[in-house]
Amino acid sequence: MSAVLQNLVNQPYKHGFVTDIESEIAPKGLNEETIRLISAKKNEPEWLLEFRLKAYRQWLAMTEPHWQNVKYPKIDFQEISYYAAPKPKKKLASMDEVDPELLRTFEKLGVPMHERAALAGVAVDVIFDSVSVTTTYKEKLAEVGIIFCSISEAVQHHPELVKQYLGTVVPVGDNFFAALNSAVFTDGSFCYIPKGVKCPMDLSTYFRINTQESGQFERTLIIAEEGASVSYLEGCTAPQFDTNQLHAAVVELVALDDADIKYSTVQNWYAGDENGVGGIYNFVTKRGLAKGVNSRISWTQVETGSAITWKYPSCILRGDNSVGEFYSVAVTNHHQQADTGTKMIHIGKNTRSTIISKGISAGKSNSSYRGLVRITPTAENARNFSQCDSMLVGDQCGAHTFPYIQVKNNSAKVEHEASTSKIGEDQLFYFAQRGIDSEEAVSMIVNGFCKEVFQQLPMEFAVEATKLLSFKLENSVG
Amino acid sequence: MKTAMSNHYLECLLESLNDKTEETSDWLKQLRAQAIDRVSQLRFPTTKDEEWRFTDVSPLEQLPFKPAQTITTLKQEAIQQFFVSESTNRLVFIDGFYAPELSSLNDSNSCLIGNLSSMVTNQSSLAASHLGRHVHFQDNIFAALNTAFLQDAAVIVIPRNVTVTDPIHLLFVATQEKVTHSPRCLIIGESNSQATIIEDYVPLQQHAYITNSVTEFSLAENAQVNHVRVQRESNMAFHLSHCTASLERHSRFHSVDINFGGLISRFNLDIQFKAEEAECAIDGLTMITGKQLADTHTSIDHAKAHCTSHQQHKCIVDDNAHAVFNGKIMVRPHAQRTDSSQSSRNLLLSGAAQIDTKPQLEIFADDVKCAHGATVGQLDNEEIFYLKSRGLPDLAARNLLTYAFGAEILDRIPVASLKRTLEQTVLNQTQNLLTI
Repeated sequence: MSAVLQNLVNQPYKHGFVTDIESEIAPKGLNEETIRLISAKKNEPEWLLEFRLKAYRQWLAMTEPHWQNVKYPKIDFQEISYYAAPKPKKKLASMDEVDPELLRTFEKLGVPMHERAALAGVAVDVIFDSVSVTTTYKEKLAEVGIIFCSISEAVQHHPELVKQYLGTVVPVGDNFFAALNSAVFTDGSFCYIPKGVKCPMDLSTYFRINTQESGQFERTLIIAEEGASVSYLEGCTAPQFDTNQLHAAVVELVALDDADIKYSTVQNWYAGDENGVGGIYNFVTKRGLAKGVNSRISWTQVETGSAITWKYPSCILRGDNSVGEFYSVAVTNHHQQADTGTKMIHIGKNTRSTIISKGISAGKSNSSYRGLVRITPTAENARNFSQCDSMLVGDQCGAHTFPYIQVKNNSAKVEHEASTSKIGEDQLFYFAQRGIDSEEAVSMIVNGFCKEVFQQLPMEFAVEATKLLSFKLENSVG
Repeated sequence: MKTAMSNHYLECLLESLNDKTEETSDWLKQLRAQAIDRVSQLRFPTTKDEEWRFTDVSPLEQLPFKPAQTITTLKQEAIQQFFVSESTNRLVFIDGFYAPELSSLNDSNSCLIGNLSSMVTNQSSLAASHLGRHVHFQDNIFAALNTAFLQDAAVIVIPRNVTVTDPIHLLFVATQEKVTHSPRCLIIGESNSQATIIEDYVPLQQHAYITNSVTEFSLAENAQVNHVRVQRESNMAFHLSHCTASLERHSRFHSVDINFGGLISRFNLDIQFKAEEAECAIDGLTMITGKQLADTHTSIDHAKAHCTSHQQHKCIVDDNAHAVFNGKIMVRPHAQRTDSSQSSRNLLLSGAAQIDTKPQLEIFADDVKCAHGATVGQLDNEEIFYLKSRGLPDLAARNLLTYAFGAEILDRIPVASLKRTLEQTVLNQTQNLLTI
C-alpha cells in the first residue's frame, strides 16, 4: 500500500499538555488510613466510610483477573496516589471566578464551557482531577426536579438517594477493580430524574486526568424513576504522560418502570506513543439495571483512546418487556489493546437486546469483542440480535471475537453474527479514480463501517466522533 | 506440581497401570512413560477451567472404572446390525481389544489396515513416527490418559497414489459395564491418496462405562480423507474423545461428527494447517434428550496462508439435556488469504433444555475472509403454519421440521447406507420426542 497512507495514523495526540494547578495529593499507597483520609477530606457520613472499608476488605481477598486478552506490566497498587484535589479556593459564584488556568485548558481542548453551555444548551458538570469544580445549568434542571451534581455533593445533600442505590447494580465485591473503586472513589457524577420527567437537555460531564501518577476512580450513579427519561453524555481526553495511569471507574444505571436511560461515551484518553510507552489503563465496570417494566437502557460508546481499554457496559434486563442496547466502535492503533463488549442478562419476560459492535485495529494493536448473552429460564420470549464486525488495517494487528451465548429457555431467539474485513486496495483505487485521496478514502470507508453506531450518538458527539476516528486512523493504511 | 490426586477415578486407573507388564516395543514404552508423567502433573478439569466451563466431569471422579481386562468373545450376529454394507474393510474392537475374527480386510494388499500390536517392525516404525505426535497430550489430561494406556491401536496407512473406494469402518463395541476403554486410531494418508474412514462407537448394553478415545490423522500433500464419526454410545456412558488432523499442502479433510449417545460426552477436534492451500470442512450434529450433556470443542488453527475451512454445527436439544459448542478459529500472523466460515445453529425443543455456544474468532492477519454466526431458537411458527396449511397435522409438521434441521448435516455423509441408518435414528427420535 502507498506510503501516503502509512503516515495517516501516526498523528501525535492533540490534547497532550499538563496544566499547572497546585494539587492536594494524598501520599502514595493504599490502606485503611488512606480510605479514612479520603472519607474525612470529603466530609462523608459514617455509612459511606463503612461502604468503602467493606469494599477494601473484600478487595484485599481478591486477586487481579487474568482471563482478559490484554497484556500489561503488573500494577503496583501501593505506588498510586489515591487522592488528588485542586486546592480549595473560595466558593465560586460565577464562571469568571473559575481558575483561568483551568479555563485555558478547556479552551485548548476545544470546550468553551460557557459557550457550550449557552449555545448548545448542555449542562457541563466539569470534573477536573476528581473534584467537581463547577456545575452549570443546575437551577434550570432543579426547576423540573432533576438532581444533577457531583456524587460528593449528592452524598452531602441527598444521602438517602445515594445510600439507597449506591452499589446495588455493581456490588462492592463485584470484581477486583470495582472493589478498588468502591473503596477509594473520589468523585463522579450523580443524576436523579424524578417520576415522569423527561430531561429537557442532554446531560454531560467532562472527564480529564491531570495530576501525574494519580489514578482516577470515578463513580457515576444515574437513577431514572418511573416514566423518566435521560440522555447522558460522557467524553474524555487526557494529557500526555509517560507513566501509565490507572483509571478504574464504576458506572451504575437504574431504570425503573417505563424509564429510559441513554448513556453515550466518547473515550479518548492518552493512548501512549507509537512505541506503546505510556497511556491510560482504562478498566471500567459499567452496568445498567433495567429494573422496571418497559424500561430501556442504551449504551453507545466510541473508544479511541487508552493504552488498554477493558470494559463491558452491561444490561440486566429484569423488568418485563425491558430493552437493552449496546452500540460500540472501538478503534485501536499502534500498541493499543482493547477488550470490550457487553453482557445482556435476560431475566424478565419479552426482554429484547441488540448488540452492534465495530472493531477497527491498525498498527500493532489488538482489539477483542467479548460478549455474553444469557437467557435465564424465566425470560420467556426473549430476543437478542448481535452483530460484531472487525476491520483490520495492516497485517500486524489482531481482531478477536469471543461471544458467549447461554440459553436456558426454548422460547428465546438469539442470533449472533460476526465478520472480518479489511480496507482493500481495490476500494482505495476506486476512490482514487474519483479523485479522492487515500487519507480521505480511509476516513470515508471507516465512517461508513461505523455508521450504525454513530447514528445512535447525540448530534454534537456524532460530529466529534467522526473527526476523532479520522485523525486516529491517519497514516494507518500504508 | 502434584495436585488433585485424591481423585478416585484417576487413582483407580493409575493403580491398574502399575499391574501391567506386557511386552511392548521401546518407543511405545517411552511414549507411555511420557504420558504417565504428564498425567501425574495435570489435574482433573473443573468448571473453573475455561475449556470445561459448562461440562462438569466431576461425576467421573467418583467412578472406580478400571480398564477392561477380560476379553469378551462375540458372535458376528451380535454386532451385525452395526455393519455398514458398503464397507468391505472393517476393524472391530471389543472393549478396546482387537477382534480379528469379526474384522474383515479386503484392501489389505493395496494399503495397510490393521492393529498396531500385530504389525511387523517396519510398519510399526511408521506408526511410531506419528503416534502421539499430532495430539497435544501435554495439556490435555484425557488424551494423556489414553496415551498412558496405549497398547493397541487401529492403524491405517493409505500409500502414495492409492485410492481406497470402499469406506473403512472402525467399529468400537462396548460390552462391559463399569470399565474404561481407551480406543486409539491413527490414520496416515500419504500423498495423492484418498480414503473414507468411519469411526463408530456402539454399545451392546445400556449401562455406565467410560470411553476415552484419541484419533490422529496425518494427511500428506494432496491427500484426501472423508471422516465420519458416529457416537451412539449408551445413554449412561461417559464418552471423551479427542481427534486431531494435521494437514499438509493441498490436502483435504472432510469430517462429519454425529453425537447421539452418552450421559456426558465431550468431543475435541483440532485441525492444524501445516502448509498452504489445504482445506477442511467439518460438520457436526448433536441430538440429545433426557439428562444428556454433549460438548463439542473444535479448534481450527490457520497457521499457514491460503487455507480454507468451513464448519457447520447443529444441536437439537430436548428435555433437560444440555448442549455445549465452542468453535475456535485462529488465524495466525501471515496466514493471509484465509477463508473461514463457521456457523452454530441450535434448536431447543423443551423449556428445560439448555445451550451454551461460543463461536470464537482470533485473527492476526488482515487479508482474510472470516465470518461466523450463531443462532438459538425454536421451530418457527410460520413454518409450522405453512405445513399445517398444506394439511399436515401439527405433530407431523414439527417432526418434519426437526428432522429437516438435522438432515442437512446427515446429507453430507458420503456413505449411503450409514446415512440412511442415521436418518432413521433421527426420524425415530423426533417421533419419540414429539408424540409424548
